[in-house]
Amino acid sequence: MPILNIQLAGQDPSGNQIPAFVALQQRGPVVQVSVSVEQNIAQQLLAQGIALPAPETGFALIDTGATSTCIDEAAAARLRLPAIDVVTVASASHASTQQNVHPIQIEVIGLPITISAPRAIAAPLAAQGLLVLIGRDVLQHCTLFYNGPTGSFSLSV
Amino acid sequence: MAALLEVEREFYAAHEAEWASAHPGRFVVVKGEHLLGAFDSMEQALAAGAASFGADSFLVRKLGEKQEAVNIPALSLGLLRANPQHPASGSGS
Repeated sequence: MPILNIQLAGQDPSGNQIPAFVALQQRGPVVQVSVSVEQNIAQQLLAQGIALPAPETGFALIDTGATSTCIDEAAAARLRLPAIDVVTVASASHASTQQNVHPIQIEVIGLPITISAPRAIAAPLAAQGLLVLIGRDVLQHCTLFYNGPTGSFSLSV
Repeated sequence: MAALLEVEREFYAAHEAEWASAHPGRFVVVKGEHLLGAFDSMEQALAAGAASFGADSFLVRKLGEKQEAVNIPALSLGLLRANPQHPASGSGS
């Protein structure tokens, strides 16, 4: 089982180094990822001579509070991802919204495997500097160890 | 302008009970008012949909699975990158 160990480093607005535990508290458990269209769809599109867009790379926040994995909606458009459903995203603070669902695969940089997320929800994540929220639909296949005092976490799939 | 997959979702809702009885637990692919088929896995359903419809959108649902609202509190409450001035601290050994 491959294991990814990450200890965050960071800087304050003045460029000074901040302790790892502060960086982890501020940024959360983030990993670098590459996202592309789900592999079963990709194989069919390639067989039809349809060119696939280059994968999108960016940061993914591991979010144990999220039911489902999300992908930035602008990135989903650039990847020309087909929608396979529409879901209602609940909100306690305002009206629930309808969001598209896309099949994606996620490569976590540093882990020698790809993770399938066939029902990733499009959401406006780019403004937060994120490409993906990794939710419990993916985490059900993972082990996550969050070590706050050392500013590190481990993810295995 | 019609919402994405609106025709497919309405068609699914009209036939869900009938299909769930015939194909319990399987994944169906719907395009327009047409059922492409019922498949054993999500992967098979995605491949069949892409083989038939290319990069177009199509509906994939698991029969018998309740459509529940998704909860993403950090997103829906605007908590992403929330950076309190006084972060929580813990105590104890």
